[in-house]
Amino acid sequence: MDQLKKIILKDRYSVLVATIIIYMTVLMVEGLLTGREARVIDLENPYFDFDVRDWERFRQSRDDSGSTSPDSA
Amino acid sequence: MNSLLPAQFVALLRREVLENRTLFIAAPAVLALVLLVFALWIISMAPSARIAEGVEYLSIMFDGLSPAEMAPMFLMPAIPFIMMLYACVIIYLLNALYQDRKDLSVFFWQSMPVSNLGTVLSKIVTVIAVVPVFYVAILFVFYLLVVIALSLLGLSYDVQVAGLGYMFLAAVVSLLLFYVSTFLAALWLLPTIGWLLLFSAFAKRTPVMWALGVFILLGFLEDLIFGTQFLGNWIESRINFRQYIVLDLPMAMDRLFSYDMLFGIVVGAILITGAVYMRRFVD
Repeated sequence: MDQLKKIILKDRYSVLVATIIIYMTVLMVEGLLTGREARVIDLENPYFDFDVRDWERFRQSRDDSGSTSPDSA
Repeated sequence: MNSLLPAQFVALLRREVLENRTLFIAAPAVLALVLLVFALWIISMAPSARIAEGVEYLSIMFDGLSPAEMAPMFLMPAIPFIMMLYACVIIYLLNALYQDRKDLSVFFWQSMPVSNLGTVLSKIVTVIAVVPVFYVAILFVFYLLVVIALSLLGLSYDVQVAGLGYMFLAAVVSLLLFYVSTFLAALWLLPTIGWLLLFSAFAKRTPVMWALGVFILLGFLEDLIFGTQFLGNWIESRINFRQYIVLDLPMAMDRLFSYDMLFGIVVGAILITGAVYMRRFVD
């Protein structure tokens, strides 16, 4: 334990790296345990329906509307 | 020796205020002055009948209403002050452990019987509890001047101004909400405070670049190495505007005793511990 403490407190860079490693480890473990997910953008209006969780459907709807456009004809 | 600790800590807080009075007192005072001048300019442009109508409307609107119920409305005019507070606190935190290393006064402070922990804690308490007090005091004077100006205007146009008293009471009660909001927001942002202090203690120059650069790099590295985005998700879960405003005291209690608040404090404590140990290394 003392040896580890000596290594961590060797210089400013080792303190920074150790702090960031602990910080990231705690964040990732908590994220894994709680299943934390980002709240994605969900725009709801009658003119433009976009949900990034359903990206495939959005692309499909764009492809469908593109195939019926005058340019594609 | 232990009996001296509270007095020593108060002295450290006083030092922080004295060294940063431009950020903590002058900046919000100038903002209040600018807003007052702007309001006067707007009033001077408006026709007299419209001004009389406006004062009468305000007076009638607030007359007899509970100040506690109307108080949240006065958080709206306080938003520029809240933004100024955040800007000043970010500048302060980035320089807090950097400036004294830069001007070498750190050697003087380290020769004093003050621990690194005490120094770093004094900076955190300054941000969380002391700085909002100055903003509350300046907002109080600001609201008082606004109410006096409105009352004088109302009297000059022969309009009933009794309701403005209720308006002032609501504004005063809103100062409590302002203080609680900024206090809880600071606790909520403890990881950010710790992060800025860590790089303030670490960087040999431009701590802002280090703080931003390492943060962005970490996000990319996490995605690259582990294929996860826990850092980004965590940050995203804490940047909702509603998390920074408290509209009543039960809401404050819910916010304070929540899991997310507790976890944020734990993460903040890790970074603050890093800043305390980093303080050992002085160039």
